[in-house]
Amino acid sequence: MAMNFGFKLCPSSALNLDKIDTSLYDKLVEMEPDARICMACGSCSATCTASQFSGMSVRKVLLDIQRGKEKEAAAMLRNCMLCGKCTMVCPRGINTRHLILSLCRIYDNKEEQK
Amino acid sequence: MTDRIPAGFHPFVIPFLVGMGFVLLYCLYGFIRIMCQLSHKDRRKFFLSFLNPKILWKDIKDIFLNCLIHVKLWKRNKLLGFMHSSIAFGWFMLIVLGHLEVICFLPGRLRTFYYPIFFNFFVAEDNATIGGQVFFFLMDFFLALVLCGIILAIIKRVHSLIFGMRRTTRLSLLDRVGLYSLWAIFPLRLLAEGFTAHISGGSFLTIPLNWIARAFLGNELNMVPTWWAYSIALCVFMCVLPFTRYMHIPAEMLLIPMRNAGLKIKHARKGYAKVMVYSCPSCGVCIDACPMSVKKANTRDTTVYLNRQIRRGNEKRIEEISDKCLLCGKCSELCQIGIEAPKIRIAQRARRKYGLNQNYSNISVGPLAEKAFGHNVEAKPGKVLYFAGCMTQLTPRISQAMESVLQKAGVEYSYMDKDGGLCCGRPMLMAGRPDQARQIIDKNTGIIRSSGCDTLLLSCPICYKIFKEKYHLEGIRVVHHSEFIKELVDQRRLSVRFGKDVIVYHDPCELGRGSGIYEQPRELLAALGTLVEAEKTGKESICCGGSLGSLTLGFAQREDLTKNALRNLTVNLPSKIATACPLCLASFSRYSDRPVEDIAEIVDQRSTKVD
Amino acid sequence: MLLELKIMKDSIVIIGGGIAGLEAAKQLLTLGYTPIIVEKSDHLGGHVAGWNRLFPDMAPAQEIVAKMIKDVEGANIFLETEIISSNKLGNTYIVNLSNGVTIRTKAILIATGFELFDAHKKEEYGYGIYNQVMTNQDLEKWFNTSVDSRIGGKEIRKIGFVHCVGSRDVKAGNSQCSKVCCVTAIKQAIEMKQEFPDAEIYCFYMDLRLFGKKYEDFYINAQKDYGIHFIRGRVSEVSENIEGRLLVKAEDTLSGKPLKVTLDLLVLMAGMVCNQDGSKMASMLRLETDSDGFLRSKDNVCNIVESNRHGIFYAGACTGTKTVPETISEARAAALMIHNYINE
Repeated sequence: MAMNFGFKLCPSSALNLDKIDTSLYDKLVEMEPDARICMACGSCSATCTASQFSGMSVRKVLLDIQRGKEKEAAAMLRNCMLCGKCTMVCPRGINTRHLILSLCRIYDNKEEQK
Repeated sequence: MTDRIPAGFHPFVIPFLVGMGFVLLYCLYGFIRIMCQLSHKDRRKFFLSFLNPKILWKDIKDIFLNCLIHVKLWKRNKLLGFMHSSIAFGWFMLIVLGHLEVICFLPGRLRTFYYPIFFNFFVAEDNATIGGQVFFFLMDFFLALVLCGIILAIIKRVHSLIFGMRRTTRLSLLDRVGLYSLWAIFPLRLLAEGFTAHISGGSFLTIPLNWIARAFLGNELNMVPTWWAYSIALCVFMCVLPFTRYMHIPAEMLLIPMRNAGLKIKHARKGYAKVMVYSCPSCGVCIDACPMSVKKANTRDTTVYLNRQIRRGNEKRIEEISDKCLLCGKCSELCQIGIEAPKIRIAQRARRKYGLNQNYSNISVGPLAEKAFGHNVEAKPGKVLYFAGCMTQLTPRISQAMESVLQKAGVEYSYMDKDGGLCCGRPMLMAGRPDQARQIIDKNTGIIRSSGCDTLLLSCPICYKIFKEKYHLEGIRVVHHSEFIKELVDQRRLSVRFGKDVIVYHDPCELGRGSGIYEQPRELLAALGTLVEAEKTGKESICCGGSLGSLTLGFAQREDLTKNALRNLTVNLPSKIATACPLCLASFSRYSDRPVEDIAEIVDQRSTKVD
Repeated sequence: MLLELKIMKDSIVIIGGGIAGLEAAKQLLTLGYTPIIVEKSDHLGGHVAGWNRLFPDMAPAQEIVAKMIKDVEGANIFLETEIISSNKLGNTYIVNLSNGVTIRTKAILIATGFELFDAHKKEEYGYGIYNQVMTNQDLEKWFNTSVDSRIGGKEIRKIGFVHCVGSRDVKAGNSQCSKVCCVTAIKQAIEMKQEFPDAEIYCFYMDLRLFGKKYEDFYINAQKDYGIHFIRGRVSEVSENIEGRLLVKAEDTLSGKPLKVTLDLLVLMAGMVCNQDGSKMASMLRLETDSDGFLRSKDNVCNIVESNRHGIFYAGACTGTKTVPETISEARAAALMIHNYINE
């Protein structure tokens, strides 16, 4: 009985904060509380060794997991080389290397757990 | 010398036998377990090493020199060396001489385990023999030696600073029991032998003691109780030994042949690493050595406590301690036993499971090499490939100085990561992820191979160490810029002039302790200015606090470490601090009150082209 | 020596001859006191004297400073002089100066101001290494003198401004916002666009903090009339390419993409940090410092100009980053507080 109004309702690409699952972020904050103090300046992304390969950016990773976009974050994290440049440049002094390691650790992906 | 007790037995030997039996069974069990934990290949290697006379001789020599004489400790601290060797060697000689006495005088009793230990109780002196006198003298002499050691040990416990140790280990309860029983053994033995000296004979210590005892006590009722006490002290010591730091005595005797056999740490908690952990005598040298100890709260995260927690199986603390360490390697450099604590920590980090594992299969070498070197690269002997490294990209003054120096010296070079490159893999390796590091290594190897260069020049010691150790770059020389520039100067391709700077050189951990380069940078700097030394220098230099080795130390927690390292560097009032690592440079520049420069920069300022 | 020792009475010592010190001196003169300005450098007017034009109305800084100096003609001014020691005697302070003068005073006004962050410390920006990198101060100097090797003698096609250099940066030892750099960057960007109408100008910012009167107008003008590009991203690396131009890397955080741009000139907006000499003197006078390193006011809402010690007052940027009008208002407030204190 669907009526055709001449347009279709698309699944919205808008973020609905009421429905987003932030459990990964919450866990991360427990392990690395400094994850909260990112001010999104983008220094880490600009200096990142891996950004040219996977678009890796700690800033984006943090934002993505706060918005429930775990898959996007995972794709970026896969190319991180832990070189520590992001930690060096962070103006807020966030230990981004540990943040990345902690995050990789708590990613719930049974297949990858060796 | 005859048997005093025909049965050759007295119930007081039972505690000793119980203790001895327990400790031997425990060690046997431990040995079998360790052997089972080794890989088949390692096990084979270990047992075959005993068939090689060269290694076997080294084993014996090392055990004698290190476990008994404590040669390394002597070199470091004479008083501590004397203390340890007097106890260890003295005790060893008491046991050996005890056996010799039995062999010489009552060979039939040799099969009883306890005779050599309690010889003086079981024998009566007949017409004094020359041999007996010599033995008596030697026994008393070595007992006196051990007692000296024990007295020093007691003083050290009360006031460690006399021994040059600012901090000493906090002992666990069982360690205390072990310590006090060890201290009790020898005075009790002296008393026991003193009480029986008029029957069994004695020498300069025991005879006078015997006179005094009999003069005051006048009876022999105290004889048997003292022998009981001596035996019980031995029993207590041996029963707690497996659970205390004294386990290092048997463990080190296994560690030495394992090391000489060429075994490597493969698992943080099994096999070789386990023997290493058990070999830790908790001496606490690593506490003062650790750069983190500048903050008192951090002393609990030093190697001695890692070893202790590993023995206790306290997983939470093991992880904390392993992750916090800067991996500067100073504790391991100073360790008398040679415990490779950074490697144990890395192995411990490697045990961690990750839900997400890095993978670089999407990165292809070809385009990266083309970006760096262009098309049709010709291989040319003498061509240099410069790899600045990630950290140097954040300290452009180093790479700029390097390029300038290379141009002045007329070196033909390619710049591998001018427009960004891959990481060397060392940070990944330090985080305990060898498989991921290996992938990065393979990618970089591909890029380097396509550069057509035969020398790989590095500005960052972190890179240098891994390129040298883990890359397979046969035919390509891996060199750090401090060595390379030194050669340019020696070959007169670059002329440098002396200036009025008073320079102190900071040994970066990965270059000094990590790669053994101490002299070249100093020789180079000595041609540029007046070189002074830091208070702790060379092998004992203090990490700048910026190390990538630590996973959990935050920026704020590193400040005190850096300031302490700076204090150490400036004791001889240098006008300039020189280093050879971009990370040290960045850390020091933040808090230093005087200029901090890389060795390449100083050379660049003070060099000219040779016409 | 004793003969040279001059004792002055009924005077008030003002430490620092910047705009705060000058304005306070002027007000104290009006109130009938004899202010003594002690200035360590060889000129009055402090940082503002080196500036070209001031936002929001592009008032010429040097004229303002010249007028302020003229207004304090009746005051005693010691240039190239520092405080050696000071001790309290009853209700007064005895202040010994490096020129041998000893002053007995009932009140001391601290107007030591700020220090500009040393841009060398941000290694990755290459100040002092690349010949295309300068600071906001260098640029103002160029506006005044037209002499700077980094600008002269080459074509300027692209200019970048980096906000927050040495401010909001724990690594640089200053986690606070320097408040005025955003608007200064926009002002300088506009001025540069006026100088080089064909140049593209980029401002790299983390957050734009344009809080003051008419600041937002600057922002709008910069966008509308001057076409200045605002890029939300902090510069992380600067390198030099083969042509000798700068390659600047940042993240364009709004598009989420790494960004590279080649520039001919990079201006670092060095922030305000606490004055080291001020801190040294603070410890000499047993004054407290706040967590940001600046001097601690009695309270940060109602009593900014008072210190924790009787008779010692603050004016201007010694207690935190201030704009010029804020500094001047504080200097007046301090003069009044001193007057009240003396007549208590």
